[in-house]
Amino acid sequence: MIILPRWGLTRPIINGIISPKCNVRCYASSSKATLGHREEEEEGEGEGEGEEKGWETVVGLEIHAQLKTGRKLFSTASTSYGETPNTNVNLHDSAFPGTLPVLDLHAVRLSLITALALKCQVNPRSTFDRKHYFYHDIPASYQITQHYNPLARNGKLPIIKGDNNVKRSFDVGIHQLQIEQDTAKSQTVGENVLVDLNRAGTGLMEIVTEPDMRSAEEAGAFVRKLQGLLRRLGSGDGDMEKGNLRVDVNVSVHRHGTPFGTRCEIKNINSVRFLQAAIESEKKRHISHYLTSPSIPLKQETRGLNELTLQTFSLRSKEVATDYRYMPDSNLPAISVDPGYIDKLQDELPEMPWDSVDRLMILYGVSKRDVETLIGLDEYHFLGIKYYEDVVKGDDKKIAKKAMNWIVHELLGQIGKSGITWSPTLIPAELMRELVIAVEINKITGTTGKSLIKHLISMSIPPTTESTPSFTTLEEALEAAGLKIDDTVIDLEELSRKAISNQPKSVADYKKGNEKVIMRLIGEVMKLSKGTADAKKVKDVLVKLLNEI
Amino acid sequence: MRASGSKIQQIASSVRPRTSAIQSTPYSWINNSTPSSSTGTLAGKSIAIKDNISYTPAPTSCSSSILQEYNPPYNATCVESLVSAGAHVVGQTKMDEFGMGSLTTHLPPFYSLVHNPASPSPDEPPRSAGGSSGGSAAAVAEESCWAALGTDTGGSVRLPASYCGVVGLKPSYGMISRRGIIAYADSLDCVGILAKEVDDVEQVFDVISQPDGGDMTCSSSSSRSIASKILQRHFPKNGIRGLRIGLPQEISISCPPSLIKYLKSQGAEIVEVSLPALSKALPAYYVLASAEASSNLGRFGGGWYGSSVEREKANKDESGEERRKRIRTEGFGKEVKKRILAGTWALSADEFNNTYLKALHLRHLLRGNYQSLFRIPHPLSPTRSITVDQGGIDMLLHPTAIRTAPVLKSRQDKGSDEYNQDLLTVPASLAGLPAMSVPSGKGKDGWPIGVSLTSQWGMEGLVFKLGKVVEGWSRGQPTG
Repeated sequence: MIILPRWGLTRPIINGIISPKCNVRCYASSSKATLGHREEEEEGEGEGEGEEKGWETVVGLEIHAQLKTGRKLFSTASTSYGETPNTNVNLHDSAFPGTLPVLDLHAVRLSLITALALKCQVNPRSTFDRKHYFYHDIPASYQITQHYNPLARNGKLPIIKGDNNVKRSFDVGIHQLQIEQDTAKSQTVGENVLVDLNRAGTGLMEIVTEPDMRSAEEAGAFVRKLQGLLRRLGSGDGDMEKGNLRVDVNVSVHRHGTPFGTRCEIKNINSVRFLQAAIESEKKRHISHYLTSPSIPLKQETRGLNELTLQTFSLRSKEVATDYRYMPDSNLPAISVDPGYIDKLQDELPEMPWDSVDRLMILYGVSKRDVETLIGLDEYHFLGIKYYEDVVKGDDKKIAKKAMNWIVHELLGQIGKSGITWSPTLIPAELMRELVIAVEINKITGTTGKSLIKHLISMSIPPTTESTPSFTTLEEALEAAGLKIDDTVIDLEELSRKAISNQPKSVADYKKGNEKVIMRLIGEVMKLSKGTADAKKVKDVLVKLLNEI
Repeated sequence: MRASGSKIQQIASSVRPRTSAIQSTPYSWINNSTPSSSTGTLAGKSIAIKDNISYTPAPTSCSSSILQEYNPPYNATCVESLVSAGAHVVGQTKMDEFGMGSLTTHLPPFYSLVHNPASPSPDEPPRSAGGSSGGSAAAVAEESCWAALGTDTGGSVRLPASYCGVVGLKPSYGMISRRGIIAYADSLDCVGILAKEVDDVEQVFDVISQPDGGDMTCSSSSSRSIASKILQRHFPKNGIRGLRIGLPQEISISCPPSLIKYLKSQGAEIVEVSLPALSKALPAYYVLASAEASSNLGRFGGGWYGSSVEREKANKDESGEERRKRIRTEGFGKEVKKRILAGTWALSADEFNNTYLKALHLRHLLRGNYQSLFRIPHPLSPTRSITVDQGGIDMLLHPTAIRTAPVLKSRQDKGSDEYNQDLLTVPASLAGLPAMSVPSGKGKDGWPIGVSLTSQWGMEGLVFKLGKVVEGWSRGQPTG
């Protein structure tokens, strides 16, 4: 459990308070002190062409992910998106005098599982601090955050060669993960600055990476992977366009074997595409600066991205650093987490998307792409993966691959055409399994299977919950669809005889030794059976009959 | 000697709460609505509350120009408890702006002064009621209310109680919810209770000392039940026989010898004890309180606050930052600005380690000092052990003030005397311990003096027990 000791004997504890934040995050600044050990692990031997050859880009990310709890971190106001401005506001969110924060433990739990999924070390005791600044987006003039003792530190997220077209497999280090409040939204309209407090006080996880990425693709791969992780855990939506996942990126460029260059931060990026564009633009700008004016140091600054030109532009210089006057927040108890509780959360962690991909690929010999398609059906609860595994039920690879084909290509293909969304109840896994097996043992033909799927999908348009019939057996479903199991050889013989009498020319050609013409006869049988016959079986019957003639 | 309830009602009606722009009065706002008939443990009792305790009908301004027209949209939890117990809120009382001061002289220009009603003679020049809860203490002393709520950050309830000759309790930190109290320093602020008698203070305490889900620093019911079990174990069975009372060596002013003698005669053991970290308490207090104040008061100014008077002055061309500067410059008084600046400095990146962190460390040492003195275990201590140390004490006793109430002057410079004064009240605040000032007769000048009783966290019961004994002794003393 999460224990919140009351402010008794021993609150504000000082040990563990680290030197100013700058020291910790100074990973790519121009100062001489920060280089060294990182150079050794350098990979990518000067890719790129022309002017970019021989340069290395160093990228670190600072990510703010809104916690998906439905309420604010320290108040009970709702966090639903797109409401009328200033309606999701409680007195504490607007910093009314005398109001006090009440921590949402659900937010702590979601942050803990995120930290564990990122393989972080959870601090046995973490505390809240105030970060002070005067601005209209922060009514209390301070943000409650975790500066001195963050929730978790030292994690990593593995990036695999091929993810988002990256060219190497490596780990992105997670420097720390902390819980903090979101600010209000402000926008300038004419001469007025309008403030919307709906977002103020929403719980955020701030995830700070080490500067381990070396290209725009690598940064994009990290963000995509993190989005999948957040959704799988249910701790966040990871939706950059809605602003519930926001990425600030630090970029610096240097020649291989030389110290890190000056770091610039690009803020307020709204999509992975823009993130990559910002890094590219910044890389080019830095290289061009170092080439054209090597004697002038590159200015350390905060920049924005022009989404039309895909070029970065200066927002403010970082030369005058703001002093945030961090101070422990005495209104909030420390969070100390029982190790047993951590173990329990660790055990309950769901399988991460990339682990699902690996496992299914190895276990069933299916393709990465198909597994990713299944994941895409439901990134939160993995109902697509579950559906697939319910259909396969641990059977051997043969049916596993077939089942994947039936689900991903036939079922999802037809669903795609019909414009409805997939759900695991559309064709229950048990029924789907029977269908796949029936085709496999030639109980029904592939064509019948496809027709059945088509029929079942059409029955759920328009999707009505009550009238959708549920079938327990394949036979029932086939019957309802007006389809039959072609279980009679006699039927096939009859149809084949008919076909032979319909096409004497083909029979004559066959008898002359042109065995290929049997295809025409098979086609005739298929036509007569309205597609229900199994072509292989038809061929066998035809050969037998033709030899008898 | 004790007045009955009905007698108090008569007295109360003889001195009616009033507001005035010219004449001195403890009140900044009067409740003009007639009290409805009520039931509950506090039915029919009239209670005044300090100007920083949120009450929707009252402009809760912390006696500051910056909150001049602020009517809170909600009631403080402690006020809710009072009202549900049947009490009638008679009015709001003046205070030093945001609780910063000890004489209730840091008032906005449109407030009249508060005079100490405990004057031995009408010819005396007016004296201070103490602060910052001077209005609450004076209201109780003049008997315009039965009891009053104040707040105590470093002595703001105990000192005015001593000056005005009333009882003033600063409970253990976290006993009374702070929800709705406009914060000065969150780690030190406590709601305190002032009344004529210990019994009355106890009665109010029992009503408002409750867990509150709206304040995470407010003690949970499980902590309270641990405390009450410990209290039962250490509660003297026979009067105060066997109670061990410590007199801190570091405090040079002593309690009336006749009081010590009386306590011994009642079976208490009096021992001299030492709190070596006491001398460091003041710098720690000023750093921490100022730092927290600079943070808490950051919200006032800019887009969010400012009276209509302020808005009239608004210059259309001024930037948000300019407006914030103007509001804060004009809205805060001198003392408040001084402490905000000091606190901002203590939190600045260059000073934090050397100032704020050292102050936290000193606070920690002081707490350790106190814990080594008590034989009662700390109910919230994670390493709670039953160390019935034979040398340990149950209670500390020392004067509340170095002197009787000072004469009101227009300007009060803080001399070293006042720092010596703070030494008597600040340590219990830093340690979060319950401390109560009880009248202990009169000084040579005929004005009241009080003694402070301090005990282990959560041991209010013991404080009340000894308080009543001191009260009994005090009543037996010759007056004047």
